[in-house]
Amino acid sequence: MHVLLVEDEKSLHQEVRQFLTQAQYLVDSAYTYAEASEKLFVNSYDFVLLDLGLPGGDGLDLLRDARQSEKQEASFIILTARGALDDRIKGLDLGADDYLPKPFSLLELTSRMQAITRRKFGLKRPEITFGDAFVMDVTARTVRYGSTPEVPGPEVPLTKKEFDLLHYLLLHRGRVLTRLQLGEHLWGNVLEDDSDSNYIDVHIKNVRKKLAQFGSPDFIETVRGIGYRAV
Amino acid sequence: MRLETKLGLFNGLSKLLLVLLGALFIPPIVQRVAVNHTDQRLLDKKLELLHLIDRDGLAAFLRAEQSESYADYNILKQEYITITPLPIALGKVLAPPTERIFEERRMVDKEVEDFRILSYVAALEPTAAAPRRYRLEIGSSLATVELLTDTLRRLALWVLVAGALITVFTDAAFAHYSLRPLRELLTRKLRSIRQPGEFSFARLDTDTTDFRQLDDSLSALMRQLQTSFEKEREFMSNVSHELLTPTSILQSRFENMLQDPTLPEQHGQQIVESQRTLYRLRNTVRTLLLIANIENEQYLRDANVPLTQTVHDVAEELDDRRQQREIDLLLDLSPDYVVPRANASLLHTLLRNLLSNAIKYNHEGGQIRVLGRSTPTGGYTLRVEDDGPGIAAENLPMLFDRFRRFHATGPQAPEGYGLGLPIAQTIATFHKATLRAESEVGKGTAFILEFGAA
Repeated sequence: MHVLLVEDEKSLHQEVRQFLTQAQYLVDSAYTYAEASEKLFVNSYDFVLLDLGLPGGDGLDLLRDARQSEKQEASFIILTARGALDDRIKGLDLGADDYLPKPFSLLELTSRMQAITRRKFGLKRPEITFGDAFVMDVTARTVRYGSTPEVPGPEVPLTKKEFDLLHYLLLHRGRVLTRLQLGEHLWGNVLEDDSDSNYIDVHIKNVRKKLAQFGSPDFIETVRGIGYRAV
Repeated sequence: MRLETKLGLFNGLSKLLLVLLGALFIPPIVQRVAVNHTDQRLLDKKLELLHLIDRDGLAAFLRAEQSESYADYNILKQEYITITPLPIALGKVLAPPTERIFEERRMVDKEVEDFRILSYVAALEPTAAAPRRYRLEIGSSLATVELLTDTLRRLALWVLVAGALITVFTDAAFAHYSLRPLRELLTRKLRSIRQPGEFSFARLDTDTTDFRQLDDSLSALMRQLQTSFEKEREFMSNVSHELLTPTSILQSRFENMLQDPTLPEQHGQQIVESQRTLYRLRNTVRTLLLIANIENEQYLRDANVPLTQTVHDVAEELDDRRQQREIDLLLDLSPDYVVPRANASLLHTLLRNLLSNAIKYNHEGGQIRVLGRSTPTGGYTLRVEDDGPGIAAENLPMLFDRFRRFHATGPQAPEGYGLGLPIAQTIATFHKATLRAESEVGKGTAFILEFGAA
């Protein structure tokens, strides 16, 4: 996956770049409007992560130009700290695929990218296999155990939130997710500062309990003092 | 009442009063003038007559000895003159001449008419051997006088009425013309705008100093207002950029650090702690931004939002938390209420903050009641009640105060309520609704959202 990262803030640029590289994305960098404009003209990308306030121009213009050119088929995700509400509407109107207000979680960013990829390539029944014989059907929102091509296995009765939690862990398999990150994903941009750690712990406990009735839930690891990780 | 209407009404009434006064006072005055005029004429005639007698002698008038009196009428009997000798009073000193003017009916040529009569009694021949007194009468028909005064009266009234009418209209037209700038100021500059940002600085076209000043000072004030609005927006935008960008960098850095497989556990915990602090900072900044954006009217109110649906959505979203704490939820909105001209996502946030508080500050196994009722005045009331520990009365007003809350300390301080309530109140105000709290320590708290009649 080829990504163009357009962000003028150097430190943030570095962090995002590092995270994406680690996640096996091929990252190209642009720090100014001119650089971005040139790279968009020359190369074709799968994703453009676009900051709006750029030295030398407005990111929305880049988006507009790219959408008018035939060969640039990249999916655009707008990343911005501009508080203005119109930006979101304008951006989506101009054909952006998603919009993340800063500060955003890198996990959230990669999740959105995966979601866009799934949409774009029309993976009808995206399935994730995990544990010893668990299979998650993302579209049908079910987790089954021990399915064979002929006979679907029994369904693990997960609640909506439990399913979302498990899905998020599996999307970021191999990464440690803190309770804050999980909480943010489950309840969105909750504007309260009390930690949701207890709720997350209870959910994890319940998910493990439910999975344990079928197979081993050991693939969910507790990383002491930090959070959880699916392997 | 509009100024122009007032002026017009006053103008019309004062002119009406003038006409009435005219109708009341003009007839007697005209009468008076006519009578005076007649009297003057009679006196003039008397002098003329006396002059004639002087010149021609009385004999010329009293031609025949047998007809001792003389009478003369003009053909239409409007005037007459008589000279009547009075009986001789012998041995008496002749009285001085007397003269009086009066009105009386007289028979003239078999017709009775009212006359204004000058009667003059004097010795007309003082040099005669036997001086004798004569009565000289000059009469003028009152019908003629009446006719004249009538005409005069009518004329005067007509002139008055016509003058009044014309000035009423010219005054109204002038008032209309000279008040035009004020009208324009009101309709174009003030009434047609909803917020100071829409104010038009185009100068008012007027040469009236008062309006000029009004317009200028209004423009100056609006300019100041706009500048400070501008500054506030700029400030919020700067805050968002200046605070959110570094926050963003830190957040990404922490996430990257946590991915390091060689990270010692102790450091990992420290990073998680830092991340928690950072989230708090981030949420505060976001909250302030949200409040500022709502207050700057950056959100649209373009949807009709049914409350029941929104409450259900929010409840479902928070279901897992509620169930973990084994809190019972009672939803009873009867009837449902559709919030007109609302912003769905803001209303969602509002209700979410209220419900989430009700979960957080409830005791385990408690109950939450969401009750919606129409008010008799056509509004709607939504109560969100919990069975929590309640809030002390003196702290209730502080709940919604986004600034006080930051340094409220002490065991009773409701700090735990976070910025959720100031947000909720800002959203309520944005929807022209009010949000207040009722609480009893040990029993629970109710947040009451009241929508006015549409």
